[in-house]
Formats: sequence, C-alpha cells, structure tokens
Amino acid sequence: MQIVKIEGFNAHCVAKGIEREVSLFMLQDESLEIGNFVMVHVGYAIQKMSAMEARSAWEVYDEMLALEAKGA
Amino acid sequence: MTLTAQDWLGKIKALPLKKRVRIMNVCGGHERSITMAGIRSALPKTVELIAGPGCPVCICPEEDVYQAIQLALHANVILVAFGDMLRVPVNTPKREIRSLEQAKANGADIRPIASPKEAVQIAIENPNQSVVFFAAGFETTTAPVAAMLLEGVPDNLFVLLSGRRTWPAVAMLLDSDTPSFEGLIAPGHVSTVMGPEEWLFVVKKHNIPAAVSGFMPVSLLAAMYSVLRQILEGDPFLDNCYPELVRPGGNPSAKAQMAQVLHDTDANWRGIGVIPASGFELNLRFASHDARTQFPDFDLVGRKRAGQMPAGCECASVVLGKINPNQCKIYGLACTPKSPVGPCMVSDEGACRIWWAGGVRKNAASSVTDFHASVD
Repeated sequence: MQIVKIEGFNAHCVAKGIEREVSLFMLQDESLEIGNFVMVHVGYAIQKMSAMEARSAWEVYDEMLALEAKGA
Repeated sequence: MTLTAQDWLGKIKALPLKKRVRIMNVCGGHERSITMAGIRSALPKTVELIAGPGCPVCICPEEDVYQAIQLALHANVILVAFGDMLRVPVNTPKREIRSLEQAKANGADIRPIASPKEAVQIAIENPNQSVVFFAAGFETTTAPVAAMLLEGVPDNLFVLLSGRRTWPAVAMLLDSDTPSFEGLIAPGHVSTVMGPEEWLFVVKKHNIPAAVSGFMPVSLLAAMYSVLRQILEGDPFLDNCYPELVRPGGNPSAKAQMAQVLHDTDANWRGIGVIPASGFELNLRFASHDARTQFPDFDLVGRKRAGQMPAGCECASVVLGKINPNQCKIYGLACTPKSPVGPCMVSDEGACRIWWAGGVRKNAASSVTDFHASVD
C-alpha cells in the first residue's frame, strides 16, 4: 500500500482504491515518507518496498557469463 | 530487462529435466497463487509441486481451540480471533459445541477481527470486560501481536497465543528418513520479517536447493526455475526471488520487538505432535496479559481425541505434504468447504480449501497422484 499520511506510528495508506489505517510500529528502523510503498499484514506494515535489481541470482550470474563471453 | 512470468515458464521448460523433481512450498499464500494461476498444470510433468506446512490455522492445537471455546462460553469474556479460526472444529461429541462459530450462535460474545489493532480497540471500548485475543499464526502474524503488546494495551486485554515458527516443521521433515521433496520454495513474508537466513539450513545441512518467493506467479516461477537449475547444476544455494521485500536479516525492528515480548518453546502441532522450538510463549514481563496464566484451563483430563485431527480426517498428512489434498479419503465427499471436517478445508490458507477453490473436485484417494488429471 502507498502511504498518504503519517501520524506517529500510524499511517493512512491506499492501494487500488482501498484505504486503511496501518501501524508503522514494526518499521522503526526505516525512514518512511509519504509516497513510499509498504507491505501490510494484519494491519501492520512489515516492510518497506524497495526497487528490484534482479529476480534471481541466476539472472546476475548469466549476465556476468554473457559479459565475460563478450569480452573474450 | 525484467523477465515476465511467461519468460520464467519458458526458461523452466527449456531446462533438461530428466528425473521427477518434487518442490515443496510452506505457505498458504504460495499454494493459493500456484493453484489459482494454474502453475501446476503449466509446468513440465516431471515437476511436482507439493503443499507443505503453510497453514497456521490447520495446525493450531485442538486444545487451544477448545480452550478458546470454553473461555468464550464460561469465563464471561469477549473473545476475538482472526476470522479463519471460527469454523475450526474440535473433537467433542456432536451434541456439544464444536467450534467458536457454534459457541457464538449459542450466545458467547465472539468477534472476528482482521488486525491486532481491532483487539485493542474492542478492549478500550469495553473497559469493564475482559477481552481475550486468540492469536494463532506463523511468524508474520505473531510479530504484529508482539508489536501490539509492546506498544501498550489496556489492562483488560489478554492474549491466548498459538503462534508457530515455520522452519522447525521443515527441519522435522528433512530430518525424517524419507524427505518428500528435493527443492524448497521458502515463504516470502516469513522471510521478510525473520530474514531469509532462517532457511540456510535447508541448503547447508541438507544440500537441498531453496529459493525465497513472493506471491505473484512471476516470483514463484523464478523461484521454481532457481531451484530446478540448482538441482541440475548440483550446487545448491539460497536464492532470493522476492528482493523487493526480503532483505538480509529481515526486519530488525520486528525481530527486536519479538525478542522483547516472546521466547521460543517446544510446541504442539495438531495431529502432528510436539516440534522442538516451534512455538512462541509470552515473556514473564507480559504475564499479566497472558490468557494462559490469567484464566483457568478448561480442558478435561482424558478428553477423547484431544489434540488430534477430527476422526477420518487426514489433514495432518496433507499439512506435512505426505499426500495431496484430494488423496484424503473424505476430500470432496464428507469434507467440503460448505461442511468442512478438517481445518485444511476450513481455512483460506488450507491446502484442501485452496484445491477445492481451484476446481479440484475428484477424490483421488484410491488412485495415483496426478494433478494434471485431477482438475476437471
């Protein structure tokens, strides 16, 4: 869900038109801002979503092999 | 370039798989996505996907459900629980109350909730009554319960905790003489909270490939590809196919909060028995909110079939991935979502309920397992 408002440990979040009050209590080590996306489970944000670089280690491995082959 | 689910499926199909490979998942959310997206029937026939211990409602101790029912009926409390728990049957004679739903119909004040926050709110709104929160769940649900307690709750809120850890059940399966799988899809949200490292033992101790997955088909197919390729290359490692959420070490705040509120304990799994270090108990500091110490134990010594699955039900074998849901003798016959016998047909995370929702109607108890042939 996307954070639209933060008040202390509580946030107002939206996702696909659904609005929810979400606790940020479990994310005290994260710096959270309006606009960030969080994964919510039973009303609690359990993690901040981050950008994905590769879906599997094999993608990175294959890319490295391909680069090596090009260089060879 | 970001690969699509179709790309990953193509990569799986291009793998030179010769032998049958069994991949287990241990998460009801994974099983739901696999079934609803039709992933089983899309994969090569050499790949078998097994639903393992991924449903906390299914293995919640029968004694705890019984205790919750008795508290609601006899202790003058408001009992709140996640909605899935309300229809779980206990082993009492048919003339007696067998579920929280039936207790509610008989006048007990039982309220389904979707979040621990609701339990707090109900306690605030009813200051003159005791509120018991029957909290069953794996780590992803137990962590918010810990957060709730640490943040502070009213004096009249008590927790009947039935939290369980997932990895010890997998460890038990792998320590058995005949592990029923060659690859593991590790749970995404459990790993998000607890850290993917909890699953390293699968690779390091048992030499079995593992990949953490999210809940979209693209993540599940990437994890399946990873596990299959690890098997082919013969060099298992723990892959993370849910990198947008799963980070090394998991969620440090959540883990620190859990450590302040809970500790591990040996715990009973319904129909399976005690698994070492697989449960959570509240720390002494929170004893005043522990329903187990604050309320009498209503269970009767020698109650028939206490702790077991309902008679005739093979949920324990389904939970452990020893049989497919439709191989249970009563699947789709005596046991359907409308009239469930076992907890696996009750819960949205139960493999039987998921397979039924996915269109598997035929009972295959007397035939050879073949998902491809069992979907009508």
